[in-house]
Amino acid sequence: MKINRRDFLKVSGKVGGGLMISLSLPMYGKIGETTKEGVEIPFNKFISIDPNGEITIMLTKHEMGQGTGTSIPTIIADELDADWNKVKIKQIEYSPDYTWHEMGTTGGSGSISRTWDAVRNAGATAKQLLVQAASQRWNVDAVAMEVSNSFITNLVTGEKLEYGELAEAASKLPVPEEVILKTHEEYVYIGKPIKNRITKEVVSGQSRYGLDMDMPDLVYASIEKCPIYKGKLKSYDDSEARQIEGVLDIFPIGFSDEIKSSLNPTLGYVNEGVVIVAKSTWIAFKARKALIVEWDGLENGARSIESLNADMRALKDAPEHLTMDLGNIGPSFSSTQNETMSMEYDNPYQAHALMEPLNATADYREDKCEIWVGTQDAEQTIGEVAKAMEISTDKVIVHNLKSGGSFGRRYHADTSIEAAFVSRKMQKPVKVIWTREDEVRNDHFQPYLKNYLRAAISPENEVVAIENKAMATVEYVTWTEKWEHYYAFPNIRCHRSMVPTVLHEGAWRSVGEHSAALSKECFIDELALKLNKDPLDYRMELLSREVDWGDPKDFPDWAVDFMIPRKKLLRERQVEVLSYAKKHGLWNKTTEPGKGIGFAMANFGPTVCAEIAEVSMDEEFGFKVDKVTAIVHCGMVINPHIGKGQIEGSIIWALSAVKYGGMEVENGKVQRSNFHDNKVLRMDELPEIEVIFIESQERPCGLGEPGTPPLAPAVLNAIYDASGLRVRKIPVLEEDLNTFFNSVAMT
Amino acid sequence: MANYTLEINNNSYSVDVTPDTPLLWVLRDVLKLYGTKYGCGIAQCGACTVHINGLPMRSCSIPIEKVNGQSIRTIEGLSDTADHPVQLAWEEVDVPQCGYCQSGQIMSAVALLERNPNPSDEEINRAMKGNICRCGTYARIRSAIKTAAKNMES
Ligand code: FES
Ligand code: FES
Repeated sequence: MKINRRDFLKVSGKVGGGLMISLSLPMYGKIGETTKEGVEIPFNKFISIDPNGEITIMLTKHEMGQGTGTSIPTIIADELDADWNKVKIKQIEYSPDYTWHEMGTTGGSGSISRTWDAVRNAGATAKQLLVQAASQRWNVDAVAMEVSNSFITNLVTGEKLEYGELAEAASKLPVPEEVILKTHEEYVYIGKPIKNRITKEVVSGQSRYGLDMDMPDLVYASIEKCPIYKGKLKSYDDSEARQIEGVLDIFPIGFSDEIKSSLNPTLGYVNEGVVIVAKSTWIAFKARKALIVEWDGLENGARSIESLNADMRALKDAPEHLTMDLGNIGPSFSSTQNETMSMEYDNPYQAHALMEPLNATADYREDKCEIWVGTQDAEQTIGEVAKAMEISTDKVIVHNLKSGGSFGRRYHADTSIEAAFVSRKMQKPVKVIWTREDEVRNDHFQPYLKNYLRAAISPENEVVAIENKAMATVEYVTWTEKWEHYYAFPNIRCHRSMVPTVLHEGAWRSVGEHSAALSKECFIDELALKLNKDPLDYRMELLSREVDWGDPKDFPDWAVDFMIPRKKLLRERQVEVLSYAKKHGLWNKTTEPGKGIGFAMANFGPTVCAEIAEVSMDEEFGFKVDKVTAIVHCGMVINPHIGKGQIEGSIIWALSAVKYGGMEVENGKVQRSNFHDNKVLRMDELPEIEVIFIESQERPCGLGEPGTPPLAPAVLNAIYDASGLRVRKIPVLEEDLNTFFNSVAMT
Repeated sequence: MANYTLEINNNSYSVDVTPDTPLLWVLRDVLKLYGTKYGCGIAQCGACTVHINGLPMRSCSIPIEKVNGQSIRTIEGLSDTADHPVQLAWEEVDVPQCGYCQSGQIMSAVALLERNPNPSDEEINRAMKGNICRCGTYARIRSAIKTAAKNMES
């Protein structure tokens, strides 16, 4: 890295003595800005060391169950050679002074990989300053010292100094010109199963989330929301609701067309509705039931999943955009010599069902708006609130609280805008609480994706062309309609058509990769069996072919620098993961009736994850997943305990979608409301899960999402192996498997 | 509004709320005992689990008038320093991810172990399937229950 360290590192004394390390990496730029030469980058703070030896590590990312609130500080502590027991972790406020990589979005399974350089540098610099301070104090060379566990030992005299004793002196030293980062062998915390720092307060019931926010004069609000996406409030009668004791106010929520057009249509979308403000959460909930509200559903009011499917099918033969065209598929499909195999795969909407229902607390007074919310993107939240309230962003303060799960949903600023709106009206601090029913009905769903896949098979039993027609409901997953270049075929063509969505959409653990993986990994499985090949061997064969990456001169620089190396890396990791499965005998076909095994593989970012699902057909439940083995290549694993938990959680998340996912919609209205009809996996349905990490010293990549996408196709492929039934969609319902049990009953 | 006397974690509280107010919202909004969580409001998720006379109950679905004068225990009442054997086992296994469901999980687990000190997998499933964990910590919950059972035995 070529950077002038003096420009991006700052050391300062602390009030009351001690050392504060500030750090900023200029090449990443400030949040929201691209890097420009000569732009002054403000400094920010990562580490402080008190004279008593207490080390505070500032957490810039949002903790929502993914564990980075522990993992990132362990990286800093490791480079610093700090005593982990003396480390305190402090979630810090949003500040525009942090770069996008350091703070920015918490998501895309990228917190560790984005902060990796910054936090290691911060830790190593602090350590080096302390060593220098000790060197001055003892007048010995650094090589004559040993550093470990917050102590520096003088190897000549045997004297020992604790970091706290050196912090003050270290803070007066100039920033070192160069720091040396540890080698892999030198890590003491990285790679170890360090426990999650939130555990103690969780088990004692002291852990506080957005929903637990409290302050003097707080009032509680709940909003009866329009059940139809983009629908409008027509009229309401609140006469009965107003009679309920404890109701403080009732008023509509909505924004002018001008404000609405300034908001981000996804992140800043707020449902129209009727707000109840009350003395307690319960009274607000209760009063909502006494409201009589009429909605105007507009266009979406007449739509359903059936009509959405009809819209998609209508576009099947008239695909809109060509998104990829390698070779020429035409002759392969028109040749009468070749056989064509065509399949349709269906990836419906998926709800989040976050354990902690959505909420936000705001105190909006005298044109200053303070918000307490668990958010994956404080900066966007500030921007959207400012636009909705028509104030400047410096008037909006966001305190980022821990979340009870987020999985993409808490990117959106809707609850913060609602809280700001209600607080401005009440001139009091207000907590806006969504009921579970709101959370399900007004979720921002995983987008709907339908794939029509087609392969041309030559008389030599070779797939000579692939075509993918993707019917999608949003823009931001559109890249997943491409046949990603890992499996090489001579001719590939992909199209995409867009159909307006009937439900509001957003990010859902592993976003478009989930839907794309289901279609591709099932289709590959079907092709392998059609060609009479083992599904793993067939994938290996496709991966070992030379790939035509195109002519680099046709690509923009970023594609040459980033995309092609990334694709190469992913291919290598896929080959490694496949080889591991074969070599370690994890792929064992069974001949036992009613049992089956299925494989699928996907990537999320640079992490590759393969999963092997073992299922049994089960008269009572249709099918049962007995075991899932995940083989993960994510580079270096920072914390195998937390990492394994993330993969297990992803598998359970995805299995919920396989068994119970999707969403029924009638007249624009979501037909589920709570955990009785929007089911998720419970403990008695838990399969055995084994997680294997491929040994690697490569740069660490994310683990929060990569375990999700391969699960559904692995299970669908296993169901086929067990029953001979191809299910090309989720959820898998009893009726999809009936023919199996009927035929078993007849024999 | 009416006055109710509650015995919570061996303390006596008197609250003035409407008779239909669920215990959950009295604990949270009135008494500020935020360890008990709201997840569904219809006895489907277990996040709000507390003990009433020693039995695990979903506080979201119990109106305050039904528990007047009864003995209630919440997560805050398990121990003073988070050293109840079940809390310690939770720490040993390091169960939580986001942690939001865990108060309810722990309360269900404590109730299970109080009546069955050595539960089988099957019995654990039966007792715990009313508690949802959206982060998917089920395997670690099960292992913590077994750890607690073992530690409590010795
Ligand atoms: S909140 Fe009571 S069971 Fe879900
Ligand atoms: S730990 Fe997050 S819901 Fe259970």
